[in-house]
Amino acid sequence: MFTNLYQLNLKWIIRDRVLQALVGVALLLLVLVPAFSVLSMRQVQELSITLSLSFISFVLALLAILLGASSVWRDIEKRYTSAVLTLPYSRGSYLLGKFFAIAVCLVCSAAIFTLVAAVAISFSSGLYQSSLPIRWLHIFTAVAFDVLKYVLLVAIAILFSSISTSFFLPIFGTISLLLAGNASQEVFEYLTKDSVGVKTAKPLLYAAKGIYYLIPNLGAFNFKVSAIYPVALSSQGVIYTLLYFLVYTTIILYLAVYFFSRREFP
Amino acid sequence: MKALEITGLSKIYKTKKAGVVNALSDLNLVISSGEVFGFLGPNGAGKSTTIKAIMGLIKPSKGDALIAGVPASDPHSRLNIGYLPENPSFYDFLTGREYLYFIGTSFHMADNLLKSRTNEVLDKMELSLAADRPIRGYSKGMVQRLGLAQALLHDPEIYILDEPMSGLDPLGRALVKNLIKELKAHGKTIFFSTHITADVEAVCDRVGIIVNGELRAVDKVESILEKGITGYNIHVRTGGDISLFSGFDFTERDSGILEFYTSRALFKQFMEIVVHANCEVDLVEPVRKNIESFFLELVEKR
Amino acid sequence: MIRKVLFIALLGSYVAVIVPFSSYLGNRSIVNKLGYMPEAEIVKFALGDLRYLASQWAVFKVMLYFGGMVDNDINKLKLPPEYPGMSRMISNAVRLDPYNMDAYYLAQATFVWDVKDSAKEINKLLIYGMRYRTWDYYLPFFAGFNSAYFLHDYNSAAEFMKKAAELSGDPLFTTLSARYFHEAGRTELGIMFIDSMEHSAKDEKVRTSYHTRKEALLNAQKITDAVNRYREKQNVDPNTIEELISKGFLNKVPVDPYGGKFYLSKNGRVESTSKFAFGGQSR
Repeated sequence: MFTNLYQLNLKWIIRDRVLQALVGVALLLLVLVPAFSVLSMRQVQELSITLSLSFISFVLALLAILLGASSVWRDIEKRYTSAVLTLPYSRGSYLLGKFFAIAVCLVCSAAIFTLVAAVAISFSSGLYQSSLPIRWLHIFTAVAFDVLKYVLLVAIAILFSSISTSFFLPIFGTISLLLAGNASQEVFEYLTKDSVGVKTAKPLLYAAKGIYYLIPNLGAFNFKVSAIYPVALSSQGVIYTLLYFLVYTTIILYLAVYFFSRREFP
Repeated sequence: MKALEITGLSKIYKTKKAGVVNALSDLNLVISSGEVFGFLGPNGAGKSTTIKAIMGLIKPSKGDALIAGVPASDPHSRLNIGYLPENPSFYDFLTGREYLYFIGTSFHMADNLLKSRTNEVLDKMELSLAADRPIRGYSKGMVQRLGLAQALLHDPEIYILDEPMSGLDPLGRALVKNLIKELKAHGKTIFFSTHITADVEAVCDRVGIIVNGELRAVDKVESILEKGITGYNIHVRTGGDISLFSGFDFTERDSGILEFYTSRALFKQFMEIVVHANCEVDLVEPVRKNIESFFLELVEKR
Repeated sequence: MIRKVLFIALLGSYVAVIVPFSSYLGNRSIVNKLGYMPEAEIVKFALGDLRYLASQWAVFKVMLYFGGMVDNDINKLKLPPEYPGMSRMISNAVRLDPYNMDAYYLAQATFVWDVKDSAKEINKLLIYGMRYRTWDYYLPFFAGFNSAYFLHDYNSAAEFMKKAAELSGDPLFTTLSARYFHEAGRTELGIMFIDSMEHSAKDEKVRTSYHTRKEALLNAQKITDAVNRYREKQNVDPNTIEELISKGFLNKVPVDPYGGKFYLSKNGRVESTSKFAFGGQSR
């Protein structure tokens, strides 16, 4: 039942120009990594890893926002909804079908990008001997958590799509949450846990705490440090972040289904 | 067996500009199995609102709709429905055949059956040639016919067709009319909305007329037509004595035929005279208002 | 009903996860990174009116970075400070918005102290700023201080101070004549400047950085005083700080808040292994 919708959406994504163009851009950028990396005098390998991870992250972000925000909106805009939502599907499976199709697409794209990036990094590291070994497991973990981060973002885009009639909230709401979610940890720490003793006004502090717990903590998904520099990968961090991802995404999807089920299509 | 049961269905929209709008008020309607029901009304009368409430696209403010006994809010209620949306549009990145495959699997059709049915309905809707082209390139009429094809595909018991003839050329209209007749012959239930009275006369068993969100009349097409009889045209051959017919208007024809018009009330009296005068009756033809004038009367009545 | 229970269960698990999760985040290894900003001219064209915001953003970024350097978090990955990056960012900021006082202020608070031989560059920046912020006495005050303290160009210093005095109407600056600069000791001059800066600083991080510097200079001053007394009594220069302690001129070795160790250079001047900058030892 549900697999139908999922396959339908996969077909849509694969035939969509957005995906084709973005995958093209990503592969081009990754191929150029060795050329960019030699710009660094001392840390060619580190730079090649940094660049590869950044390019992958950037393209995945674009994919997540464009596919996530446009999928539901486009169906409404082109009046596909009156044909699809009147099939014997629940509204929930319609939304989840979209979500899982985009999620799988992100995973597959990331897998391809990582493969190309691996070649680019190996090649770059051959150009200048680094004192650090390349730790592939750490690199793969960093990409994997990037994917999880953007899957969570897709859920958010779908939540926005489920309540909005226009394109604006899904696109700009998702972008704002991406930016805010990436910065929330740093800002929160700047305002609260300060060894120097910045005095933040009490109401502001409560507001900051509220927002910090409300918005997705996307900074937590950043495992790039241990992929680039000799920092141990914390297994505790991996587990907590994974749990956080599961719970947060489920809540977002739950809300999306809740609102979408109540929505009318006059 | 009730195919469709609508009780007290109301829909109120609250808008900033127009305030409260009663799109639909207290609609009660029962469609029995095997019936062809025409839902007639001017644009914006509430036809689409009713259909959208049946299909679960909107939530009624009051009342409910049962489809073969299952509430419309339950997605399972739609398993037995073939639905054609108004001015439909389908995933245009798929080909017609792929779209039908998606629809068929959505209704749990087995692969073999699905394949043969796909070819059947494509053929019936004259889309076989375009079947493997993306829907993106279809004309409006082709999309409408694909819409009918996807409604037919899983051979449902109940058809809900929102303006099935719109966007079609005369050939297409004839195709749809024949299709409806054929489905009726197979005992299917058809509920369709239209604003064209001739369509109703051509294919419907019953008609409901909705104006400003209120159901003004529901009746058998036959009985509307019968009630609409205002008088008769009667051609009579007389022996020459026409004095008996004084009081009735007539025109005389060449071959000794008199053409009379009598009102419905005087028909019996007239026929008695005919018997009494021992005349030969060539033709008795009822003169009646058609559905259109019936409809117009209802719409104009405030 | 089932849905409500499910949702409450979800919220419950969120709370259950978020507690250990955020405590883990509070303690995890972080890298204090400055990030990258394209050249000011490009940003200007790309952003139009938003350039002022971009300028402020750049300053904020440097601020956060600098704040991270001042905090000595245990779990932070120690990387050499990116002074060239910071300086590029600041220079971008003032090119985007030449009125951005925060940028000048930050430059004066950080680079001029932490980066060797940067005073000349910073003074150029300050002179550039003076063309725009014609009412502001802080810029000539900074420039005057830099000239005297770092560049030993006492005449220019007096010129700048004169300008600062004119703009502020504060007679304090006029007393800072060229002669004063000659006579006052270097450390004393530094302490005086920092004292005035520390009082006017709004940002805690900047104030902390001044405070640390003042402490370092005061501690250095203690040693210098001891050296002077030693010279008077013994008619010879001491070789080490330990010598000062063993002969009773100093109680204990003062602490360098930058984490370095004080020592006496050949001409009897007090220096520190930290070069009075964070991360100075690693350079």
